[in-house]
Parts: sequence; structure tokens; C-alpha cells
Amino acid sequence: MTIFVGGFVFQFDGFQKKAAETMKHAHGTTTLAFIFKEGVIVAADSRASMGGYISSQSVKKIIEINPYMLGTMAGGAADCQFWHRNLGIKCRLHELANKRRISVTGASKLLANILYSYRGMGLSIGTMIAGWDETGPGLYYVDSEGGRLKGKRFSVGSGSPYAYGVLDDGYRFDMSVEEAAELARRAIYHATFRDGASGGVASVYYVGPDGWKKLSGDDVGELHYKYYPAVVEQEMAEVTIA
Amino acid sequence: MSIFEYNGSAIVAMVGKNCFAIASDRRLGVQLQTVATDFQRIYKIHDKLYIGLAGLATDAQTLHQRLVFRHNLYQLREERNMKPETFASLVSAVLYEKRFGPYFCQPVIAGLGEKDEPFICTMDSIGANENANVIGIELAKDFVVGGTASESLYGACESMYKPNMEPDELFETISQALLASVDRDCLSGWGGHVIVVTPTEVTERKLKGRMD
Amino acid sequence: MSKATVELPPKAGFNFDLCRRNDMLTKNGVHAPSFLKTGTTIVGLVFEDGVVLGADTRATEGPIVADKNCEKIHYMAPNIYCCGAGTAADTENVTDMISSQLLLHRYATGRESRVVTALTLLKTHLFGYQGHVSAALVLGGVDITGPHLHTIYPHGSTDTLPFATMGSGSLAAMAIFESKYREGLTDFYIYILYLCQSIARDEGVKLVTEAICSGIFNDLGSGSNVDVCVITKGKVEYLRNHQKPNPRTYISSKGFSFLKGQTEVLSTKVTLLEKPQQEEGVDKMEE
Repeated sequence: MTIFVGGFVFQFDGFQKKAAETMKHAHGTTTLAFIFKEGVIVAADSRASMGGYISSQSVKKIIEINPYMLGTMAGGAADCQFWHRNLGIKCRLHELANKRRISVTGASKLLANILYSYRGMGLSIGTMIAGWDETGPGLYYVDSEGGRLKGKRFSVGSGSPYAYGVLDDGYRFDMSVEEAAELARRAIYHATFRDGASGGVASVYYVGPDGWKKLSGDDVGELHYKYYPAVVEQEMAEVTIA
Repeated sequence: MSIFEYNGSAIVAMVGKNCFAIASDRRLGVQLQTVATDFQRIYKIHDKLYIGLAGLATDAQTLHQRLVFRHNLYQLREERNMKPETFASLVSAVLYEKRFGPYFCQPVIAGLGEKDEPFICTMDSIGANENANVIGIELAKDFVVGGTASESLYGACESMYKPNMEPDELFETISQALLASVDRDCLSGWGGHVIVVTPTEVTERKLKGRMD
Repeated sequence: MSKATVELPPKAGFNFDLCRRNDMLTKNGVHAPSFLKTGTTIVGLVFEDGVVLGADTRATEGPIVADKNCEKIHYMAPNIYCCGAGTAADTENVTDMISSQLLLHRYATGRESRVVTALTLLKTHLFGYQGHVSAALVLGGVDITGPHLHTIYPHGSTDTLPFATMGSGSLAAMAIFESKYREGLTDFYIYILYLCQSIARDEGVKLVTEAICSGIFNDLGSGSNVDVCVITKGKVEYLRNHQKPNPRTYISSKGFSFLKGQTEVLSTKVTLLEKPQQEEGVDKMEE
């Protein structure tokens, strides 16, 4: 049981507020997840930025909560990492207490309840909880404002509009795993192309009846030239009057 | 947000042995949204004089047009091209005129002088010359940078630059410095554009870079 | 109405066309870029028959050192120089403008410029702009009336002093002057002066260098090298980079070398200059 000790005052002075804002990593992100015939696909880029500066190109934005459940990371990196690990602990405890794995519905609700209890205190999280449970594939969107949505298709982060564009266009329920993975990869690639705060590596995970599996991790720097092979222009030798 | 971060840019110029190179990225964005990846930030003034304008694209284009206009008037009157030093003074004067309501761009000027000696310099948005004095013009010996990736560029150039490089090596150095720097900047990159000028030829290259 | 819209080279003075737009942008939270500043140490002192001016050589743009070896001692007249601190564009332009006015004045009068003339021109100019032209200056020179040293503040006020410091490193530099400057540089050494003129001069240069070094090492806005300018009757010694207390220590012996063709190129365009007949073609194409 969690007991909240009262009297803890969350009050920032100007400097603390500024400091907290500067520490907000990974605000720009593209993550996506969707349910299809065979299970759930989860994909994300790997860039972390602070303002215009790229602080990392190799962030793991898909967090493995347990062998059947994945979480995605958008917003504050520390917030996401901490609360996903916390969620992992809670899920494991649930498993030990009840002799069965927690449902995706239940896990996402655990997280949403925690986040709701901290609402307005400065947490910044936009996440998707994706997994496979007794009812089949599950996908929820949870954010630090306390929102929790069930759905078939989500994208979160500054690159999400671009990802949605590709995703909505190419999505069919009866895709094969390969097709679905390619769609996810393409959506992430297009988001990294248009969105300055997304980039690095496009990782794609698949969650099926036997748990999650990482399908690919492609450097989008190379992906671009795979999708659009570079046209090497014929060399021109021009003579002008000096 | 700084106004320089609205469109994003990266410009660098380097001096070599009897030659110079000027390079820029190719992105035009509106904050984090990439709008174009074939944008021109380096403008030609004449065969041996180029100006790169970092900062707000609308101001860069306006300023470029005004500079071309002033250069044309100079050509009509003098029947010759401007020396890079003269052009730098012109840019400085045009910018300082708007001291209290500046154009939001940082120029990077590179050219070959009368005796084909390389000249590079940069200024802030109100025309304070750096590396070149308005009166007794002093050449920048090494490199100048500008734009949102300027901090990374300072670092890259500071370690990669060597004096007296031949055109081929100069091209490799400036390209690697540019590509390395824009890979640490969200707001610039998406390919590169490099111009190497020697007394006898101008080589313009488009670089293959990361498109994220 | 139907005035020709062709823009002519501007008349003198500032132009405020973009002010409204820029204000709008600022109000919308889009900030103007920071200007190049010379967060500076500049100093000057008077000795028996002349003035010594000194400056560091760092120019900054926010936290970035934009220029490691800039010139802050500006020429005003053959017998007058001026150290500038503040916004680089302002110090450069204001000294340039006044310097040309002084030249015209010399042409008109046929006499050597006086330091007070420069002082008055500078202060009236700066006062007129009510501190918006942010130039803090140390003006020094030798004229018919002897050696003079003045400081000028951005708002147009002035001081006349035997030793002066300005800029962000002014406190560090002033500490040196206050503890080591003696009237002796004029009075105490006056006898020796007659015997050996250069002692007082060298002493002055030494003290100025020390003051600048104090700024370089104790003030973050100042750095790199020491520039000194000694003005005596009929003689100016501009000692550019008089001392270089901060040499590069991190340069690697070989540096980076890149092999030709390492950078991937999408297109190449070669334009030949001068020799228009010969068509040249085959530069290697990479990738």
C-alpha cells in the first residue's frame, strides 16, 4: 500500500522552475504503436534534445516493462524511466500476489492513477503501454495530465503528426508482421525527416502471444537513402566568362 | 526561443592556401518542422566573392537583394567588382544602419582579393566586424562560423582546421566539420553545400548528409 | 504617392523600419540575437610626456568567445587613440565616425587634432543617443597642450583622470592601478626622467600590461592577449599583442587529416574562371 506523507510542499521558486524546465530532456520525440491482426507493433526514434542541441542519438525510448509489455517514452526522460520501472515493480508484485500476469488494462490504469496523483506537480510523460495479455493484444495511451485512452493506433511526441500521416494512410488490420513492421519503420522515418527533434535510429518491436521481440533498429541516416536512393548528379563542367 | 532558431542554419568559411571554402547546410525549417531541404544560404556576389547569411531567412533574402543592388550600383559607377574588404565594409554599414531595428541575420563573407589572397570574415547582426577591422582590415587567419550550429562548429573547426590546406584537403575538412556539427543540431543539416574557390576555378558540391 | 520605389543608398543616420516588426516578435517571445560584445578590460594612464593605453583582445557573444584576438584600441587621429568597451558595432562605428570628423576638422583648420575635441565630439554623439549606443571608451592622446586621458560613458558623461579603467574587467585592473600607480610616474621619477626618459615610459607600459593581465585572468569577459599603445609627443607605438599570456596549448602535433574522397558528394559543379576557352571536365565524382 502506498501512503502519501502529507506536508510535502511542491512549490518552486523562479530558479527551481527554470532549472526543472532545463532538465526536461527528450521533449521532441516520435513514438507510435498500433494493434493489428497478429499483435501490437511499437516503434520509436532515438533522439534526445535540449532546445536545439542534440544531446543523444541513441536513447532507448521503448522500455521493456516485462516480457509481455512495453512502454514508450515521450516527455521527460527521467520521469518516463522512473515511472515505467516503478510500474514494472508493481506488475511483478501483482504477478506474485495473483499467480497470473497483469492485464494491459490493469497496468496502464496503475500508471494512470499514479500520474493523476502527481497531476500539476511538474511531471511530463506521454506514453503508450502496449502488450499481450489473456484478452489478446492491448494498447493504451497514458499521459501526465492523468489521461488514459484505449485505442488501436497511437502516436506520441513532436513528430507524431508526421507519423500519423503515414500510419493512417498505410494501416490495415490484416497486415502480416513484416508489413506492419515496415509501416511502423516508414512512419518513424518520415517523422524524423520532417521533425527536427526526432532522429537517430528507428527501432521496431512486435508484441505477440509469446511476448515482445525487437524486430529491427535502423539508422534513419541510412534509411533515407534506402527509401530514396541518392541521385548522383552528372558532373557538369561549366565555363563562364570571368 | 531566439529568432535564429526560427529557421535554423549553419554556415562556415575557411581559408586555405591561396583559396577559400564556404559551406552551409540546406535546411529551411519553421522551428522544428522541416520545410525545405534544398535551401540556398550562400549567395554569390561575383565570381570570387560569396556571402552566407545565417539567421532569419526572410531577412537574409531581403538583405541579399539589397547587397546585390548596392553591388550593382558600385559596378556601374566603378566598372569593376568590389574587393572583399570593401564588400565587408558595405555589409557592415548596411547592417549598422539598422542598429536599433536590425535584420536578424549573421553574415559570413568569403572572397578572393585583388591579388587572389583569401579573405573571410563574419559579423553580428548589427555589423560588428569580427576578424576584420573596418579600417585597417586584418584577415581572419583561420575560419569563421555562424548560425544555430555555431557552437558545435567552433569546436569542430578549432580541432580540425590546419593552416595552408590545398583546395582538396580544405574541402574535406570544411565538409567534415560541417557534417559533424549539424549532427548535433536539431535545426540545421539535411545535407550540405560547399563552395571551394581558387584563383582559377570554383567548385560547388552538394554533400550527402543525414536527413534527420 | 507615386514616388519612385527604387531604394537609393541611404542618407545618413539610423533606420528604424524594422523596429515595429522586431518589437512584435519580442512580444511574441521570439528573442533578438545577442550582439557581439567586448566584455572587456581597457585601461589608460598618463606619464610624464605621454599616455599609455591598454586593452585585452577577447570578443564575446553571450557565453561564446567569438574572437580570440580582436583589436580594441581604435585609431582616432595620428596623435589620439581610443579604447572601446561595450557593443562591438557601437564602439567601432562611433570611433570611426568621430575619427572622420576629426580628419575633416584637421583639413579645415590645418592644425593637429586636440584630445578635448575628440572628447567633445564623442560625448555629444553618445549623449544624443541617451545610452542606446553602448560604447564605453578610454580616450587618450598627446596634443599641443600635453598628454590627456579621458573616460567616456555610454550616456555621454566624461572623466579626466591620471589613470582610468573601463569594461567588465575595470575593477580588476583598477585594483592594480590603485595599488601601484604613483604620482611618481610623473613627479617622483621626474629627476630620473630627465636622465633617462624611457624608464617612466617602460614603467607605464609595465603597469598597463599588469592591469590588463589582471583583467584577463580575473574577469571572465576579458581574455587572450594584451594590446598596448604608447602615445608620446610626435610618436605613436602601437604594440599589438604586446604580451601573449594565453598561447594555444591543445593543438595536436599533426591535426586531423582527411583523405581525399572521404566526404560523400551528391553533385559537383566546376566553373572555370578567367580562361574562358578551355572546357574542363573531369573532376572525380564521389558516390
